Amino acid sequence: MLAIETEALTRRFDGRPAVEALSIEVPVGAFYGFLGPNGAGKSTTIKLLTGLLAPSAGRAAVLGIDLARDALAVKRRIGVVPDGLALFERLSGAEQLRIHGQLYGLERRVAARRADELLAALELERDAGKLVGEYSHGMKKKLALGCALIHGPELLFLDEPFEGIDAVAVSGIRRMLQDLVARGAMTIFLTSHVLEVVERLVTHVGIIRAGRLAAHGTLDAVRGAGTLEEVFIRTVAEDRGAVRPLSWLGEARGSR
Amino acid sequence: MSAPGGRAPRVPVDALGAFAELRFRLIWRRLRGRQGIPELVARIVLFVVAIPAGLAFAALAGVGAFSAARAGHGLQADVAVAAVFFGVWQTWTAVALSLSEREGLDLRRMLVYPLPPARLFGYGVLSSVVGDPFSVFWCLVLGGAFVGGALARPGAWVGLLALAYALFVLATVALVALLQETLARALRGRRARVLAIATVYLGTAGLVAWAGGRPAALLQALRALRALRWAAFPAAFAHAAVTSLYGGRPLAALPWLAAHAAGAAGAGYLAYRLALAAALAGDGGAPRAAASGAAGWRLPGRMGALLEKEAKYLLRHPLATLLALILPALAGLVAWRVAPRIPVEAGEVVRALPLLAFALYAHVAAQIFWLNAFGWERGGGRTWFLAPIPAAEVILAKNACAYAFSLALFAASAGVGIAIAGAPPGWALVAAVALHAGIAPWLLGAGNLVSILNPRAAPLTVQRGGALSPLSSLAGMAIFSAAAAVFSAPVLLALRLDRPWVLVGLWAALGLAGAAGYLVLLPRTARLLERHREALLEAVAGDEE
Repeated sequence: MLAIETEALTRRFDGRPAVEALSIEVPVGAFYGFLGPNGAGKSTTIKLLTGLLAPSAGRAAVLGIDLARDALAVKRRIGVVPDGLALFERLSGAEQLRIHGQLYGLERRVAARRADELLAALELERDAGKLVGEYSHGMKKKLALGCALIHGPELLFLDEPFEGIDAVAVSGIRRMLQDLVARGAMTIFLTSHVLEVVERLVTHVGIIRAGRLAAHGTLDAVRGAGTLEEVFIRTVAEDRGAVRPLSWLGEARGSR
Repeated sequence: MSAPGGRAPRVPVDALGAFAELRFRLIWRRLRGRQGIPELVARIVLFVVAIPAGLAFAALAGVGAFSAARAGHGLQADVAVAAVFFGVWQTWTAVALSLSEREGLDLRRMLVYPLPPARLFGYGVLSSVVGDPFSVFWCLVLGGAFVGGALARPGAWVGLLALAYALFVLATVALVALLQETLARALRGRRARVLAIATVYLGTAGLVAWAGGRPAALLQALRALRALRWAAFPAAFAHAAVTSLYGGRPLAALPWLAAHAAGAAGAGYLAYRLALAAALAGDGGAPRAAASGAAGWRLPGRMGALLEKEAKYLLRHPLATLLALILPALAGLVAWRVAPRIPVEAGEVVRALPLLAFALYAHVAAQIFWLNAFGWERGGGRTWFLAPIPAAEVILAKNACAYAFSLALFAASAGVGIAIAGAPPGWALVAAVALHAGIAPWLLGAGNLVSILNPRAAPLTVQRGGALSPLSSLAGMAIFSAAAAVFSAPVLLALRLDRPWVLVGLWAALGLAGAAGYLVLLPRTARLLERHREALLEAVAGDEE
């Protein structure tokens, strides 16, 4: 059984391909790390798989449902932390979580109880009454994760979930996610730049470069005898030149 | 860190030049818009409407000033000068507080640069004169008045007259900046906003109760508060200085001009200190709301959640507070000054027109909420396409809340009007409600298309309504004009037949037709929203690829 299956999924912007002929398979219960340099097409792929973007060509099935045919059925069963987040800045953290739960079909009472539990689990209780617009970036990320989890999705899409979150919180969230996958409760599709964290978390890996899939498979198969970082750099950096030194840096101190 | 010798470090001219260029480019881009030719054309059309109006007002002001300067003194000079300065000051301030954007004065963005914040703020205040089309309009009117006065009696005193007008402009922008900073600080908390609204409403009710429905008593009370005009010091000082100049007493004008300059500098300095304190305070005193999942409104289900979110978003928008304060006050003014002057012979329908006008105006005042319904959501807008919610329900919830808000504005305005001018006939009340409800589906249905096809990211933290693009403003004008034309036809019929109840029947029928059309259009509008999701998210949430 596949949680995600894409066939030649393509998205172009003004004729320029952002994702080109992407074909991946993510098994149910996998913790899938989707890696790539900036602008490689990671966020575009998540947007295509969650219905934020329409594909230019190809098809995608999520949890066995064709996205083009019944997007609402897919949306009910997935949770998403998108790039740029999806938070209402004029609601308090507690209101955001509870209303988000209700929008996903939870009863108000259940949504309220889960919102309070998530606020505690994500260490946001103290700021629960603050408007989201006043939250720091890391707090917003944690709240967005809470929103993605509140309705108990079968598949979780996380776009850079650890960016801007402190190390202690990263550790707590990492344990929570590992536990969810270990219990067979969820499949997770995650993008991240923090390769050490990804390597400790994921069971499967895909590496995208310039919109095209460059490597794909189980973690062990992709990294072989090396580390994930070595494979990643080898895969994405082969067409990059060395960085030229900026000779003028430090001039001001020298002339003082 | 100070420079050797304890002197303040000099700011490189290049840095200030770069800042001036930044301000200029931001203003230019705002004027030019982001949507190319259609937005440019819309802006030109708006200017084509506004410039002749501005020139006409300038010519009128010029003629008035010419006569006043020729008269020299007496009621003719006094009234004309007061009308120009108090009129321009009042409208400039009201428009600036409700419509202008405040980007130029937001020090938070600028503190990162190694430039003196006082100077940055000063430039921001000055650029608000040239960068804001409304300010340019008022300057045009003032220019007309100045030219009229100067042509009436050419001479050396014209230099002082020019100084008086320049000081008036500077003092007005400085006082507007001070009011903006004070209001932004005072209305930041929900309790403060509620308290401000309650104070104004209870104060009005108290005044009306005290006057016992006798407008003469209200007039007396307002005369007793005449000293309050000095709070509008830019107009009061300019009025005193210019009447002295028109009266041929330039020496008598000098203290007023000096007071004017001191007042402008003082207001500007206070505004700067408040802006700097706000910028440095960061999150201090941030507004708070429900801190637990169980708190909040008890509306069940998905639609309940949608309505709660929309209503809270709307009520927490500073402009909602401002409209709740301004509209009933305006209605009170109309009921006090205009309604009693309509003769009984004009007929019941004509006498009910102020009430009916407010039924329409409540929709116009709330138009930014139905012409740019997704603008304030920014990243939150992604939720509508990520969550399993039919787009039609999202649109319906937005429309329901915008309508409820407009209805509340109308109810408050009508209540104040009735308290001051007395109760209108029963048919007029029913007709006003029928008009307000009947025109709503027409406006909201058309407004949805504008919201989807021309969305614009709107600021959340400032009390501004300047969130509509020129194209949306123009579309709003067209939609409202068309709907108002359709709904004004029954008025002509009622006047001709002298049957006021015709209005109720016809407006209810038009409303039902509008509601049917709205319901037929809703699924198509929802599909349009789905199709345009990428462009909408790009505009309001900054999503590209």
